[in-house]
Amino acid sequence: MDELILSYVPGTSPLHKLDPRTKLVALMVTSILVLQTATFPKLGLFAASFVLLAYLSGVGTGVFVRSIRPMLVFFTFIFLMHLFLTEGDPIFRIGVIRPTFEGLMAGTLITARFVLLILFASLLTATTRSTMITNGIERLLRSLPLKRIGLSSFDIATMMSLSIRFVPVLLDNARQIRYAQIARGLDIRHNIFRTASTTITPMIRESVSTADELATAMESRCYQGDFRTSLFELKMRAADWGVLCGIGGLAVLSYV
Amino acid sequence: MIHINNLSYRYPDGTLALDGVDMSIEKGEFVALIGKNGCGKTTLVRHLNALLTPTEGSISVFGMDTKNKSGVWNIRQTVGMVFQNPQTQFVGTTLEEDVAFGPENLTLPPNEIRKRVDRSLRKVGLLEYKTHAPKALSGGQMQRAAIAGVLAMEPECIVLDEVTSMLDPESRGNVLDTIQQLHQSGKTIIYVTQRIEEILPLADRIVSMNNGKIEFMGTPHKYLAYVESDIPAITNLMRKLKAKGFDVRDDVFAVDDAFLEIMKAWGMGKEVDGVDMLDGADKVNTDDG
Ligand SMILES: Nc1ncnc2c1ncn2[C@@H]1O[C@H](COP(=O)(O)OP(=O)(O)OP(=O)(O)O)[C@@H](O)[C@H]1O
Ligand SMILES: [Mg+2]
Repeated sequence: MDELILSYVPGTSPLHKLDPRTKLVALMVTSILVLQTATFPKLGLFAASFVLLAYLSGVGTGVFVRSIRPMLVFFTFIFLMHLFLTEGDPIFRIGVIRPTFEGLMAGTLITARFVLLILFASLLTATTRSTMITNGIERLLRSLPLKRIGLSSFDIATMMSLSIRFVPVLLDNARQIRYAQIARGLDIRHNIFRTASTTITPMIRESVSTADELATAMESRCYQGDFRTSLFELKMRAADWGVLCGIGGLAVLSYV
Repeated sequence: MIHINNLSYRYPDGTLALDGVDMSIEKGEFVALIGKNGCGKTTLVRHLNALLTPTEGSISVFGMDTKNKSGVWNIRQTVGMVFQNPQTQFVGTTLEEDVAFGPENLTLPPNEIRKRVDRSLRKVGLLEYKTHAPKALSGGQMQRAAIAGVLAMEPECIVLDEVTSMLDPESRGNVLDTIQQLHQSGKTIIYVTQRIEEILPLADRIVSMNNGKIEFMGTPHKYLAYVESDIPAITNLMRKLKAKGFDVRDDVFAVDDAFLEIMKAWGMGKEVDGVDMLDGADKVNTDDG
């Protein structure tokens, strides 16, 4: 079975074939538009276009469900906040608890916006390899005067791909340290402060030595943050320009 | 061709890790570097691609002085280094991206990088895994990936610092096979290890260090004649036979050599065709297993 990176789902759909820069810019513009949407019909339009794109991408529904799931608590919280704390016509009243119709509307609207944002973002990560995303970001950043703050777009791209690579490794280390301590009889539930310090100290030591070895390995393979090429070539095709024009048009339309 | 000239190195905290090392390595040679923990092996090999530069003395790598800052890039391209820990030297999110890391740093064009990545992965036998993520690879596969990553930079010389020490026996065998093939294809190999047994059949020369100094340098046979402890079981057997009065050489480590020696000592070496007898011996072994 092929390993999934982030939630990338290999495929050959039109969405997979777009240049990552196109998808990044499109995602940014769409996000702004979604966040500014104030009416249900417009939101419905975005939802419908998401469904269409998701269908075109050939990515299974499971991937999208999985991207929403970790945020469910947050969404519920936002929704309930609005439902109970917005002034207006009460739906019913039990003591101080009085959800309002206005709250119901506002809560649904705001929660729906967040859900749409996550869905569009996962459409990007599901149809684009993480390297392509970092490459795309690198190319978009390359024109900015980052040198003045002592960074290069290549440094940023390398940092991003190293995070994607090493965050799971560090989490795994943390888990192993915890198991090792449980095996030696440390009761995790007993003293939260002691647990924190006994876990964090070896974790930091582990992370520093990982970073040190990693830096040495990168250095010995000629890494120099200021310029590199890439295994994957980025290429803007007619379809990319088409999508960008379409998105631009949409942005203009939504302002008139 | 690497020339190490009276090299001493002191870490910033004052530890004198190398103390007057002199040595030359020929093109195409397979050198095994051995010695106790903390004797300075890692410190020495890190000088070979300018990760460290000498406190005293000098090193020239294919004519380039490692102290010369402007040559560092060429030196690192010429001398590739593979490290002990498979996890922390794998920088890509997939196998092919990891192998591409070096060539990308050398700013090669994408089609050339692709060619080198595929060629290197084929050499270490991992081409079919090229889109796999690191967590889908075993430790041994990751070490071979690291070798491919170095090969993609097309170095003359490959330095391997205890690359098998975190692997299970089977993976260790695979990695050693890969290294042997590289040596046969003409690469210069410098192999640091604590396991003398794995390296005796492969190395042209054994270099043994102690306390920051080289204490022995010579062929595997000479090395076995020189050391007292930590010797392969076969050599140990031959030593015991010799002590009992058998007329056998005690500097052998290969089954075939030991067998011939014992046959000779019995006075059968001349009558029996050694090769045939070896084939027979092999059969007996396989039947047992
Ligand atoms: N970064 C460092 N700072 C200070 N001293 C160091 C450093 N790295 C190694 N040393 C010391 O230098 C000496 C040589 O270490 P080195 O790592 O080269 O030995 P080694 O032969 O590779 O050992 P091992 O078999 O454990 O890998 C040791 O005494 C060690 O403690
Ligand atoms: Mg070492």
